[in-house]
Amino acid sequence: MALSAIRSRVRSLEAYQQLSDRVRYTRQDISAGIPEIPWLPYAYISPFFILFGIFLLFPTAYTLYLSFFNYLGVANEVLLSVTMGPVTVSIPQIANLEFVGLSHYERLVFRDGLFHTSLFNTAFIFLVQVPLMVSVGLATAVVLDSKFIRAKGLFRTLIALPVATGLVAYSTIFLLLFNDQAGLINYVLVQLGLSPVAWLGSAWGARMTIVLAVTWRWLGYNMIILLAGLQTVPEQLYEAAEIDGAGRWQKFRYVTLPQIQPVLLFVVVSSTIGTFQIFSEPYIITGGGPSNATITVVQYIYNQAFLQLNLGYASAVSVLLVIIVSAMSIVQIQYGGEE
Amino acid sequence: MRTETRNEALWKFGAYIFLMVIVVLVLIPLYWMIVAATIPQSEFFSWPPRIIPGLQWFDNFQALQENIDFLNSMWNSIIISVSYTALSLVLCSMAGFAFAKYEFRFKEPLFYFILATLVLPIQLLIIPLFLLMVQIGWTNSYLAVILPWAANPLGIFLMRQNMKAIPDSLLESARMDGATEFQLYYKIALPTMLPSLAALSIILFLNQWQAFLYPLVILQDPQMYTIPLALAELVGQQRVYFDQIMVATSLAVTPIFVVFLTMQQYFIKGILSGSVKQ
Repeated sequence: MALSAIRSRVRSLEAYQQLSDRVRYTRQDISAGIPEIPWLPYAYISPFFILFGIFLLFPTAYTLYLSFFNYLGVANEVLLSVTMGPVTVSIPQIANLEFVGLSHYERLVFRDGLFHTSLFNTAFIFLVQVPLMVSVGLATAVVLDSKFIRAKGLFRTLIALPVATGLVAYSTIFLLLFNDQAGLINYVLVQLGLSPVAWLGSAWGARMTIVLAVTWRWLGYNMIILLAGLQTVPEQLYEAAEIDGAGRWQKFRYVTLPQIQPVLLFVVVSSTIGTFQIFSEPYIITGGGPSNATITVVQYIYNQAFLQLNLGYASAVSVLLVIIVSAMSIVQIQYGGEE
Repeated sequence: MRTETRNEALWKFGAYIFLMVIVVLVLIPLYWMIVAATIPQSEFFSWPPRIIPGLQWFDNFQALQENIDFLNSMWNSIIISVSYTALSLVLCSMAGFAFAKYEFRFKEPLFYFILATLVLPIQLLIIPLFLLMVQIGWTNSYLAVILPWAANPLGIFLMRQNMKAIPDSLLESARMDGATEFQLYYKIALPTMLPSLAALSIILFLNQWQAFLYPLVILQDPQMYTIPLALAELVGQQRVYFDQIMVATSLAVTPIFVVFLTMQQYFIKGILSGSVKQ
């Protein structure tokens, strides 16, 4: 009798234990993820979203809006006035504008010669600089990834050093290096028995100076990304290729390249976006000259907006530039991302 | 067999030569900066140019300081870059924590919306930001430069990706121990995230330290100039003093070199995390 009573007590205790365990697990399942305070996640994200809305979303939309208007000056009128009891909130108009429809775009596409020049210059820098930098960067990464290379870390650090130089700071160094009279580059050319080049004094020299400067600044950056890509290629693939009698070049062509294709694509796309936004280098090194041979699109936007105060027109250039760059990125991803 | 080993040796030799050439090409401009910063301008324009550094750095620095107040520009750059980095870290880590560890309505759409804005280039925002700052009277202020990119899409993306790795059980056991929800963020999540926070701060700091176009538009008072603006001012002067420019440039790049050399793994983590977009 006493024994069965104990048994039933134990059984009910076990049942209770199981039940309480289940309750606890269920509670854990619910509480993982769902906060005890419902508004808490919103409190965490709202500071971010307030600044994001004011300084990123609003300006983006406003640039698009502005591109259909002429800017006439600072506005003094009130755009919106809301009275809530004793408090009146009034939002001032942000600028005095005149609607012009699509005429900015029409002028940009068909009649603005200087815009076409700036687009040509930017495209030239892109067409020469990106292939040069990506191929040298890839070669450096592949060599550095070889098993026999010693002091890898040292090489990588030294080659990546330009990553730590600011855009304006390194531009001033190139302004000095490529100085037509006293620059080191022309001195070396003369020492080698060649004639000095009018780097900053001629159109093609100035464009090449920008190309070389940008390549110097971003080579190590892209090498680091490519090196990380190379390190993910499985060793077995190379071994299998070796067994099949593949040489060094064949291993690169049929193993390495296909394996790092996504990384390579990323490098190309981000370099494309980067070159189409070049501003500091021509501003410091060439000032856009000689005779607008190196003026870039962003520099043109800056001149139109802040030197001539054609803010509406400059907005149209900005929008058009974003469209061009997005289109190019999409084409590159379509073309280079075939799997 | 013998030609193979000879080819192999040649290949290795060639590989080292190639790397050496790249290293030399990378270092020449930096070396040239040191040379030009440490010799008087007159010697710089002599032919052949001097290629050995001199001892004139401090004299050149004094001339620079008399020409424009460069130390003040450095001070402005430090204030702006440090406050921007700190503010952005707080905003991005808090929002990233919510996106990684909580469930709430519109979570996914909001996050992908932020991600989509990663591709928006800076020049798309500058004109409205300029008009906005003029309208509220914030031109020539630190805040006008600090606030706009503090809500950084890349930052929130990195924070969310990394915070997803924090195990739920860790947060749950802290809750059991009576931690408040906010303590979960700053006592559990933040300390486990230190390497990612370091990498993100380097990206943010560097971006702000070298920012040029937007500060050029917003800061017109020379008292408010940051380092890049002061450098541009020097380059644009009637008479260009290369010795002074190079002193200023060496002051601009040296702190970043020190950070790069001492915290290289975070630097590289930062570069790579920016490149692994999914």
